[in-house]
Amino acid sequence: MFQYEKKLQYPVNIKNPNPKYASIIISQYGGPDGELGASLRYLSQRFSMPYPELKGLLTDIGVEELGHLEMIGAIVYQLTRNLSKEDIRKAGFDAYFVDHTTGVYPTAASGFPYTAASMQSKGDVIADLHEDLAAEQKARVTYDNILNLVDDPDVREPIKFLREREIVHYQRFGEALRRTTDRLDSKNFYAFNPSFIPKK
Amino acid sequence: MNRDDLLRKISEYSFAAWELHVYLDTHPSDIAAMMRMKNYRKKAEEYKSEYEKKYGPLTVKGGSGETWLNDPWPWERRAN
Repeated sequence: MFQYEKKLQYPVNIKNPNPKYASIIISQYGGPDGELGASLRYLSQRFSMPYPELKGLLTDIGVEELGHLEMIGAIVYQLTRNLSKEDIRKAGFDAYFVDHTTGVYPTAASGFPYTAASMQSKGDVIADLHEDLAAEQKARVTYDNILNLVDDPDVREPIKFLREREIVHYQRFGEALRRTTDRLDSKNFYAFNPSFIPKK
Repeated sequence: MNRDDLLRKISEYSFAAWELHVYLDTHPSDIAAMMRMKNYRKKAEEYKSEYEKKYGPLTVKGGSGETWLNDPWPWERRAN
C-alpha cells in the first residue's frame, strides 16, 4: 500500500508563468518517456521479478517516479498560473488549452494522450531490466532536450534534479542486471533463460 | 527555524537517506552505507517532527481534518 507525504521530493517555486514551457514539459507527465509511464512500468514489472533485491529496487524506484510525476505536475501547474488570452495565443499553448484549459493532463507534448503502449512488462527479468535501462536513458534525453529549450533557472533547477535521478536509476538498474546475470548459467554466454516454464 | 528552513533540512536529509536506501537495494551488505543511511534518516525524522508540531502533518499519521487540509499543498509556490 502507499502513503502520501505532503511535500515535493525537490522544491518547485517558479516566479514567472510561461505556457510555452508548460506545453513542452507536459511530455514528462504523460509522454512516451515520462514519469507516469516510468512508475507504471516498474510497479507492474516487479510482480514477476525473481529475486528480493529486484522486487525491492523496482518498488523503490517505481515509488520515487510517482514523486517525480508530482514534481512535473507542479511545474506545469505553476507555469500556467494567471494567463491572459494573449499569453495563451502567443505561446502556442492554445491547442492544449482548448482541450484541458489549465488542468494537468497526461499527454505527450506532441498531443498524443498517455498510452501504456509506450511501455512493457514482459514477465522476463532480462527483457524487463533492459527495457528499464533504455527507459532511464530516454527520459534523460528528454530532460536534456527540455534544458536546451528552457532558460529560466526556476524551471531548470528541478529539471536538472530529475535528469540526475535518471542517471542514478540507470546505474542501479545496471547493477541489478549484473547481479542477475551473475546468477545465470556460466555457459549461457548470451544471458537468456526463459522466465516462464509451463507447468507439466 | 522557520517553515522554509525546516522544509529544506527535511528535504536534504530525506533525500540523502533515500539515495542510500536505493543504493542498498543493490549493495545490501555495505555496512558503512547502512550506517550513513540510518544517521540521515534519524536527522530527517527529527526535523519532520519539529515541522509537524509547528506547521501541521506531513503524512496522515500526523493528523486529519483541517490540520491535514490546510494550504499550501506541495505543488503550490508558497509551499516550496
